Amino acid sequence: MNGFTYHEPTTWPAAQDLIAREPDATMLAGGTAFTLLLRQGLIRPTTVVSLRRISGANRILADSHGGLWIGAMATHSTVVRSPEVRRNWPEFADAAATVATLRIRNQATIGGSVAHADPASDVPVMLAALDAQVIVRKPNAAPRVPIDQLFIDTFTTSLAPGEFIESIQIAGRGPNTRAVYLKYTPRSVDDYATVSVAARAEVEEGRLRAPRIFLGAVGGRPMRAMSVEAALGDGTEARAFADAAALVRSDIDPIDDVRGSAEYKREMARVFVERALRTLVA
Amino acid sequence: MIEGDAATSAPAGARTSTDVFATPERRVEGHGKVTGAADFAADIKRDGMLHVAFVGSPYPHALVRRVDVSGARTAPGVRAVLAGADVRPARFGRRLQDWPVLAWDRVRFIGDRVAAVAADTLEHAEAAAALVDVEYEEQPAIFDAEAALADGAPVLHPDAADYAVVARRGEQVKRSPVPHPNLQGHEVHEHGDVAGGFAKAARIFEHTFRVPPVHQAYIEPRAALVWIEGDVTHVVSTNKAPFSLREQMAQTLDLPAESIVVHTPHVGGDFGGKGLSLDEHALVFLARATKQPVRSLLRYADELQISNTRHGAVIHLRTGIDRDGRITAHESRVIFDGGAYAAGKPVNSLMPGDAMLTLAGYHVPAARVEASAVYTNHLPAGHDRAPGQPQNSFAAESHIDLIARELGIDPLDFRERNAIRAGQIDIHGDQWHASEVPRVLATLRREAKWDAPLASSHPSSAQGRGRGVALGVRHVGRGKTSMELTLGPDGSVEVKTGAPDQGGGAHTMIQRVVARELDLGPERVRIEQLDTATSPVDPGVGGSRVTPVHGNAALDGARKIKAALAEGRAAPITVTGTAEQQQHMYGAYAYAIEVELDRETGAFKITDATLVADVGTVINPVAVRGQLEGGFAFGLGQAAMEELVIDDGRVVTANLGDYKIPTIGDVPKLRLVLITDAPGPGPFGAKSVGELANAAITGAVANAVANAGARVYSLPITAEKVFAELHQGHSPA
Ligand SMILES: Cc1cc2nc3c(=O)[nH]c(=O)nc-3n(C[C@H](O)[C@H](O)[C@H](O)COP(=O)(O)OP(=O)(O)OC[C@H]3O[C@@H](n4cnc5c(N)ncnc54)[C@H](O)[C@@H]3O)c2cc1C
Repeated sequence: MNGFTYHEPTTWPAAQDLIAREPDATMLAGGTAFTLLLRQGLIRPTTVVSLRRISGANRILADSHGGLWIGAMATHSTVVRSPEVRRNWPEFADAAATVATLRIRNQATIGGSVAHADPASDVPVMLAALDAQVIVRKPNAAPRVPIDQLFIDTFTTSLAPGEFIESIQIAGRGPNTRAVYLKYTPRSVDDYATVSVAARAEVEEGRLRAPRIFLGAVGGRPMRAMSVEAALGDGTEARAFADAAALVRSDIDPIDDVRGSAEYKREMARVFVERALRTLVA
Repeated sequence: MIEGDAATSAPAGARTSTDVFATPERRVEGHGKVTGAADFAADIKRDGMLHVAFVGSPYPHALVRRVDVSGARTAPGVRAVLAGADVRPARFGRRLQDWPVLAWDRVRFIGDRVAAVAADTLEHAEAAAALVDVEYEEQPAIFDAEAALADGAPVLHPDAADYAVVARRGEQVKRSPVPHPNLQGHEVHEHGDVAGGFAKAARIFEHTFRVPPVHQAYIEPRAALVWIEGDVTHVVSTNKAPFSLREQMAQTLDLPAESIVVHTPHVGGDFGGKGLSLDEHALVFLARATKQPVRSLLRYADELQISNTRHGAVIHLRTGIDRDGRITAHESRVIFDGGAYAAGKPVNSLMPGDAMLTLAGYHVPAARVEASAVYTNHLPAGHDRAPGQPQNSFAAESHIDLIARELGIDPLDFRERNAIRAGQIDIHGDQWHASEVPRVLATLRREAKWDAPLASSHPSSAQGRGRGVALGVRHVGRGKTSMELTLGPDGSVEVKTGAPDQGGGAHTMIQRVVARELDLGPERVRIEQLDTATSPVDPGVGGSRVTPVHGNAALDGARKIKAALAEGRAAPITVTGTAEQQQHMYGAYAYAIEVELDRETGAFKITDATLVADVGTVINPVAVRGQLEGGFAFGLGQAAMEELVIDDGRVVTANLGDYKIPTIGDVPKLRLVLITDAPGPGPFGAKSVGELANAAITGAVANAVANAGARVYSLPITAEKVFAELHQGHSPA
C-alpha cells in the first residue's frame, strides 16, 4: 500500500475545485469498495478526495410530487430508514436492505454503489427500473444523466475524469405504480445475487402496463429485459407472464462463476422475472 | 439422563447441589478477549522487528531453473532475501517432512514459495519480492487424484526417499512403503469373510460420492514471530500444539529441540488447521541472516490459497444387505486429494485420521476398506475438524439412506436395525463393549417426532418438503500429558500447563475439574500457560483429546494435592498431575433435519433440526452447547455452500466473499438433546464434543433434500445441483 495525498473538502464547490485541479484524483465515499481495491493492488491512487465531510451530501429529500432526491453520500442504511423513502418508494428501501450486512450498509453509500458499477450490485438495478436520474458534477455544469446511460460495462461508467455524482433523483409515482426488487442468493443470505430482478409497472385490475424490467448479475451492467417488456405490451394478464418471462434469456449475458453457471442463471432469470411480474399484480 | 433444551445440566454422580459443573462457566480467558487485552500472535512485537514477504510460484508444477534475487537485495529497506539454495535441504511437515521451506528445484502448487524477503516495512518487503526474478520450466500438472495413480503419471516427489519423518515421542518412525510414488499414504483393512458376506447378501448397493476441499475458516489468520538469542531460537506461533512444532522445527533445522522455545499466545480458532505452521521455518533463516526479529502475517487470501485445507475426496461404497435388511459385508475405496505436500498430516498413516471410517456406528460383520491420500498439484491438504469424517460421513450416510429407501425401509428403522450394539464389531473390526448408538437413535425418534407425518405441501405447489436423518460417532481422544499444580498458602491453586486454548475452553475445563475435586470456587483456580521451555511436555490441542486427557491430568493433580493434605502436609504443595488415556471409546450422535424445497429454483431451507448427542458428564455447559451448535453451523456450511473452487490449480474462491461460510442468518434453530449419563473415560465421566457433531449434518441435509425430491451425490448441495436433479434434461448436469 503506497502513500497518497488525502483531502476532505467540506462543500461540493470545494470538492469540485480540488478535482478540477487533480483530475486523476480518486474519490472516496464509504470506502467499502475502495479499500478492497486498494488492498488488492487494483488501484494505486496518488490523490484521494474524500466526500465524507461535505455538508448535506448524505441528505435525502422528498419533493412535492412524491419524488426523491438522494444525496450521493447517503448510506444504504440511511435509505432503509428514511421516512421519505419509506413513504414515496418503499420498494427502493427494500432493495437497499438486501445489500450485504448491517455493517456494510451502514458504511456503503448509494453514490459509491452507482459509481462502482458492479453489475452484481443491487441498488443500481432498482434505480434503473425506477428511471432514476443521476446529477453529475463537472466543471461548469451539473447535467442529469438517465441512470441507464451511466452504466457502460463492469466497473465502467460514462463519468469522465473529474466528474462525480452529487445526487440521484427518482420521480414520483402514479396512483397505480407498482415496483418490486427480488434478489436470489441461494448460498447464503449474505451474498451478492446469483440473479436479481427489479421491475416496475402500472397495474390496473390485474393488468400490467408500461413495464420496466432490469436484471442484475447477468451481464456487464443492469440488463434491461427488452424482449420481456415488448412481449408484455400493454395490459397483459398474469397468464401470459410465464411465456413473456421465458424471453429473458436473450436479454441477458451471464457468466459462469461461484454463484452459478451461466445456464442456471438464465433459468433463474426466467423464474424470477415471472415471480416479479406476479408480485406486481398481486 | 436425557436433557432437553431448557434443562440445566446436572452431571452424573453430582455430589452437592452447589456443584461447580452445574453453573454455566465463566471463561478463564473471557475477560481478556472481550476487552481486547488478550494477545494473539499478531499482537506480539519486538524492537527492531522486520517484516516478511514471500515469492510464490505462478505455476502448479514447474522446475525452478534460476532465482535471481539481486534486484530485490538492493531494493530500499531490504535486510535479507533468501531463495531455495539458501535453505536447502530444509523441508518441514508435521510427520512427513516433504514441504521445502523455500523450493530450490521444483514447485508443486500455485503459491509454493521460492524466495523470502525481510525488510523494514511490509511495503518494502512486498515491493522487493516483486523484483525477484524466477525462471521456471513448466511441467505437466495433476489435478485429479485418481489420475495421479495412473501408470505413467508424472511423479511429483522423485526425492521422496530422502524425506525425514518426525520422531514420535523420541522414537524414530519409518514411513510405510506405498504402492505408487504419488501416494502420500495408503492403507487396506480387512476383517471377516467379505466375499462370503457379499455372496449371502440379498441385494448389493454401490454408490460414488464426491466432496470438495474446504477451508477451516478460523477467524484469526496465521502469524509468526521469530528471534534468536544466543543459541536459543524463539518462535511465537499460532500453532495449537507447541511441543509438536518444536519437534518439527528441530528436525527441519537440525537443531536440538531444547534450543527452540515455542510461545503460543491465544489462538483465534483452529478447527484442525492450526497444527501446521508454514512461515516459522523460513523466518528462522531470515532471523539468522539479519540478526533481527522477523515476523510474518498471512493474509486471508493466502490462507485460502496456500494453507492446509480439508482433503477433497472421491468415495466409492459397496454394501451387501440380507433379506432382513442387515449389513452382511461392506467394501469401500476412498481417495483423498492430498495436494502438493503431506506435511499437514500429523499421523503416521499420512491420511486424514478417520480415512477408513466409511460406515460409522453400524455393526459390520465383514469389511474391506482401502484408503489413499494422493499427491496432486493442488494446495496441500491437512487436518480439519474430525479429519476424514465429514467426507466419509456424507458418503456413508447418503449410501445408507439410498439403501433404506430402495428397500422400502424407513431410514431411521434401517439405522436402528444395523446400529452397533455391545459385543458387535464395527467397520474397523473392533468390538464395542458398550454402545449408546441405539439409545441415541431412539431418542432422536422421539425428540424429532420422526413418526409424526410431515406437514405435506400442496401437490401443485412449488414447495416440496423432506426429512432426513444421519448417524455419527467420534472417538474420545487418547494420549498423555502432565501439568503442574500448586496449592498456595491462601488455599488457591495454580495450574501450569503447556496446552494452548484455541477457543474450545480447555483452560476453563481444567479449572473446573480442579475446583470440583478440591471443593473450591473456580475463581480460586488460576491457569497459567507456559512456553515449551518451562512447561511439562504436552501434546497440544487436537484429536478430541483435551477433556479426556488434560482433564484427567488436572484431576490427578488435584487428587495428589488432596492426598498430600491428608498426610498432613502444609501449603505450598506442588504436584505433577499426569494422565494417559488409551481407552477406545466413542461418543455417538444423530441428526434429524426437515427441509422445504423450492422446486422452481432448487433452493432449500432447513425448517426443523434436532441433534441428539451422547456427551457424558458436562463440565462446561456453555462450551458443550457452543461446540455442538457450532459444529452444526460448521457442518451446515459444508453441506450447503462451502467449496474451495480450484481451477487448473488456481484457487478461485480466494476471499471470504466468494468462499462463503454461514452467517447467523443462515443457521436455523437447533433442538439440542444431550445424553449425559453414559460415562466416558474423561474426568467424572466426561467425553469429548469438539469434533462430535460437525460431520453427519451433511448426510442429514442430503437425505432430507433427497426425500424432498433430489438426491445429490456431491457436496456442497447447491441449489443448482438440486435444480439439475429435478429438471434433468432441461439443465446441464
Ligand atoms: C463485504 C461486502 C459485501 C457486499 N455485498 C453487497 C451486496 O450484497 N449488494 C451490493 O449491491 N453491494 C454489495 N457490496 C458492495 C457495496 O455496496 C459497495 O462497495 C458500496 O456501495 C460502494 O460504496 P462506498 O460508499 O463504500 O464507495 P467507495 O468504496 O468509497 O467507492 C467506490 C468507487 O466509487 C467511486 N465513488 C464513490 N463515490 C463517488 C461519487 N460520489 N462520484 C463518483 N465516484 C464515486 C470511488 O472512487 C470508487 O471507485 C458489498 C461490499 C462488501 C465490502
